[in-house]
Amino acid sequence: MALRVMVVDDALFMRNMLKDIFVRAGHDVVAEAENGEVALELYQELKPALVTMDIVMPKKSGIEALQDIMALDASACVVMVSALGQDSLVLEAVESGAKDFIVKPFKEEKVLEIVNRVTG
Amino acid sequence: MDMSQYRDLFLTETREHINNLNKLVVILEQEPDNRETIDALFREAHSIKGMAATMGFDRTARLSHHLEDLLDDFRSSGQIPSAAIDYLLSGIDILDGLIDDLQSNQPERKIEAYLLETPEPQPIMVAEESEPEMLVTDAEAPGEAEEETASEEEPLPAEPDAYQVLVDLAEDTPAAAARGLLILREIEKSGELMSSRPNMEDLRGGAPCQQIQAWLRTTLAKGHIEEALLKISGVVKVRFIDDRRKEERRNRDEGVRTIRVRTDLLDQLVNLTGELITHRHMLNTATTSRDWDDLTQTLTRTGLLLDDLHHHILQARLMPLESITGRLPRIVRDLSRKTDKKVTLQLTGAEVGIDRAVLEALTDPLVHLVRNAIDHGIEQEGIVTVSARREKDLVLVEVADDGKGMDADQLRQKAVARGLMTTPQANNLSDRDALMLVCQPGFSTAEAITETSGRGVGMDVVKAAVGNLGGTLEILSAPGQGTRFQMRLPLSISIIKILLVSCAGHPVGVPLTRVERTLDLQTSEIRCSGQKRGFSLDEEVIRLHSLSGALGLPEVAAGETTWVILTEVQGRRIGLQVDHFLGQREAFVKSLGFPLNLLTGLSGATVEGDGQIVFIVDPLSLLEGCQLFTND
Repeated sequence: MALRVMVVDDALFMRNMLKDIFVRAGHDVVAEAENGEVALELYQELKPALVTMDIVMPKKSGIEALQDIMALDASACVVMVSALGQDSLVLEAVESGAKDFIVKPFKEEKVLEIVNRVTG
Repeated sequence: MDMSQYRDLFLTETREHINNLNKLVVILEQEPDNRETIDALFREAHSIKGMAATMGFDRTARLSHHLEDLLDDFRSSGQIPSAAIDYLLSGIDILDGLIDDLQSNQPERKIEAYLLETPEPQPIMVAEESEPEMLVTDAEAPGEAEEETASEEEPLPAEPDAYQVLVDLAEDTPAAAARGLLILREIEKSGELMSSRPNMEDLRGGAPCQQIQAWLRTTLAKGHIEEALLKISGVVKVRFIDDRRKEERRNRDEGVRTIRVRTDLLDQLVNLTGELITHRHMLNTATTSRDWDDLTQTLTRTGLLLDDLHHHILQARLMPLESITGRLPRIVRDLSRKTDKKVTLQLTGAEVGIDRAVLEALTDPLVHLVRNAIDHGIEQEGIVTVSARREKDLVLVEVADDGKGMDADQLRQKAVARGLMTTPQANNLSDRDALMLVCQPGFSTAEAITETSGRGVGMDVVKAAVGNLGGTLEILSAPGQGTRFQMRLPLSISIIKILLVSCAGHPVGVPLTRVERTLDLQTSEIRCSGQKRGFSLDEEVIRLHSLSGALGLPEVAAGETTWVILTEVQGRRIGLQVDHFLGQREAFVKSLGFPLNLLTGLSGATVEGDGQIVFIVDPLSLLEGCQLFTND
């Protein structure tokens, strides 16, 4: 089933990479955001079924954006994208309601596996 | 070099060494300065180390090396301090676990925490008495140190429908604590999460997390929970433990699945196959030339060759009883500590060979009987004897204790109290039958259900297992005289000797092991009283049943002579009337598929030379199933 996805990352490279993975799997990437502030606005507007959220971003961090989104919609499905060595941030995100997390560098099938689990 | 071809052999042999290690440590606990045993232990560890290193199984090699070093120290000091016994045993358990991992193609489990521990200097008894304290420290410090051994030693909470879920994470799992939180969250979805290690708090604090042990109460199927957990990234293995015995059984089952066959036996099999091929050519020639004499002779010789082949192949399938008793010393040791009884285990006839399939099915019943003996038989101190010996085509395996024995009267009263029968019915039971009451489902002699033998495999399961193998279970006991559980089992279960009889025109097979003898009675000798029929033999009145009747076939009136099979059901001789005897033969028994397997009294079927299917009847379960026997 095609999912409406929003990809949040400050790096275009990562956004494109994730977007390609989702498109190849038949999902619709309905929005992209380069920071937490934009992500929050777009979430309110589009209510995507899945959000992938980078953790370290300018303006509003991924964790703050996650917390704001969860406050807005407790059933939001947010998957964090982190780099290796950000264990404590990932923990904080999971406690704040992230459904799962992907650690960079990631493999395409790993991403889809996690997405399938949290949306399945 | 490709080592994978040696893998199976490595696993089988290492299991044997581990069994020996267990046995030897238990001996050393009794005789701490037994030099020979210390030497033997050292050699066992040394062998495992060498093999594991060759195979490239790093952790198995390191652990066995560690044990070897330790034993070497003891070798120089000439004795093993009592505190080291527990340490050695838990090391052996981890070694066993490593072999489990390798067997199931999993990465070897972590051993580092164990390697860092050293045998406690204080005597064992102190450690045992402070058990409640250990629990407290466990809860306070759920660090790496306990991870390896905790899963086995942790007592289950008291709730009956609770079980432990063990979730293993891949070693390189990033942000493992966060992963752990997600896992606990998933477990919470499936029921009541009672406690876990590490727990949520630990994980929030970033505790290391390689394995999660969670105690869960749920009504969901395990498969369902397992599936959900395995979907979580980083989860490599999910196990459920509701009973420690299950783990043990899994390990033991692996042990009997592979067997080693002596090469000279294989050579003989090859020779026999060659001979049979030659005989087929001879049969071809004889048939083409229509030389009947030649044909008959060659057929006779082929028959002999097949007998020979059967004999040898049976030999190859035979394994010593020892292959399943290897773990008993350890079980007895652990159990006697737990129950605070002084129990000695004696094994005799461990070398007696039994068919692999019989052994496999015997593993659990045997362990249960031993647990039972310690739990219910022995009071404070005593001996449990496990023995085996050949009795013609059967093997007798006996578990005996010199404990308080069973009281037939008490069992009768209990049966009445449980509403299983009326007082007159109970009083009519012979002592032998009264003892067999413990094999009724749900009938337990212990007042309180104990953790060791009151749960899981019950005596009813033991009896059923023995019955399924075509064997019999008998209990000999009297108050103050100990108890003996005797299992008589066939040597082989795939090819058996049967007596072929005719019932209402159908050929039916009866295993010869169930036939005490055959009789041809004058029909006039048969006495009737109401529905019951009987006859006298050796001054004993024997009930007579019709096999056709029991099978639901029309009964054929006997002529002047009545043909009878004498068999034994629950210790009593019973006559089974048949129409004719058709002869004895060897039969290759195939088990029945669904729904035929639901029929009581049929143990399998075989195909005759003319293609006709012959059902094999087990008189014991047939008569029990028909209630013909219990109604009197």
